[in-house]
Amino acid sequence: MAPTRTIKNKHAANGSGIKGSKQSKNPKSDGGVIKKSKNNKSNPAHASVTRGKGRPNIAELLHKKKKRVYTAKELGLPELNMVTPVGVQKPRGKKKGKVFIDDRESMNTILAIVQAEKEGQIESKLIKARQMEEIREARKAEADAKEAERHAKFDETKDSLRKKRRKPRRGSRGGGDGGDGGDVKSLAATGTNATKLTKKRVSFAAE
Amino acid sequence: MRPLVESETKIVFDKLANYLSDLKGLIAPLDDGDRYVFRLNHSRVYYVRLSIANLATSISRDKLLSVGTCLGKLTKSGKFRLHITALPILAEHARHKIWVKENGAQPFLYGSNVVKAHVGRWTEDCPEHSGCVVYSMADVPLGFGVTSRSTADCRRLDPTGIVCFRQADCGEYLRDEDTLFAGGV
Repeated sequence: MAPTRTIKNKHAANGSGIKGSKQSKNPKSDGGVIKKSKNNKSNPAHASVTRGKGRPNIAELLHKKKKRVYTAKELGLPELNMVTPVGVQKPRGKKKGKVFIDDRESMNTILAIVQAEKEGQIESKLIKARQMEEIREARKAEADAKEAERHAKFDETKDSLRKKRRKPRRGSRGGGDGGDGGDVKSLAATGTNATKLTKKRVSFAAE
Repeated sequence: MRPLVESETKIVFDKLANYLSDLKGLIAPLDDGDRYVFRLNHSRVYYVRLSIANLATSISRDKLLSVGTCLGKLTKSGKFRLHITALPILAEHARHKIWVKENGAQPFLYGSNVVKAHVGRWTEDCPEHSGCVVYSMADVPLGFGVTSRSTADCRRLDPTGIVCFRQADCGEYLRDEDTLFAGGV
């Protein structure tokens, strides 16, 4: 018995596979089973060609069509996201090699751009420095004002203390307002250790 | 030897603009119809007259040691480093200047930075980190550097504080004699 081979896709062997079509009406093979002939061992496809003599073999035509391989470019497929080295990618329609800048016009253009950029940088630096200087000055002025105020307050306190001290000396001993310290002193001075206390007493030369 | 491309030209001008107030004077046409151009050979940038640059094409690149004034070197990292040989060009149109006293000239020429105690005069309204040319009190250019602070900040600085960071000085003609003109080798 000759070896048999089943074809899974019957319609492929029968043609288009559409009911009303010419190919479906005239089936070439018997039940989708192709018997392999002994004479044509090397080319099994050839057997089907010999059977359907005089008629166009659609199966073969379809098989031939499938062989055509389309490139991704022909199909208009998007390119794969691959890494392309810098040197490999070459822009089309551009001059090969370096573009030299040797004429005055192009050099002037670059020069103007660079100079404007630099001027801007320097200007911004100067403005920033000036602003910082202003802030520093303002802080300094504020600190000076605070210092002056503190000094004035200190002087005022000193003066008030001096005045307080003067009053008990000039006026009556007991009648001074808030002169408790003076009274205590005077009392202490009149005590038994009066001589010792007088020695410890301190007075300012400026008075 | 070849002219500079756009990116190189931009880098060179960018560095020169730190020191020079007027760049247009560099490429302005001369009275005899000639003009100065920039040429690159062995990563060194030369500032040379066009007529001389054209003549220099008859010398092979390997054999050409120097032509015109060497401005500096384009480094492999894509920056431009000014050489002391560019000092005459920088001194001519300097934007900011610092004059050092007699006692400060020698330390500067030996490679030190400029300290406040050595400064005789300086340009007013000079911002920090901007290029400046260093002169002696007799107006002889000694080198160039970058200011460490603005002029206003420098006034508050103590005498040992650095005013200008040295970039190049005339002492390099002796100190770097072997490497300074090694462009053609």
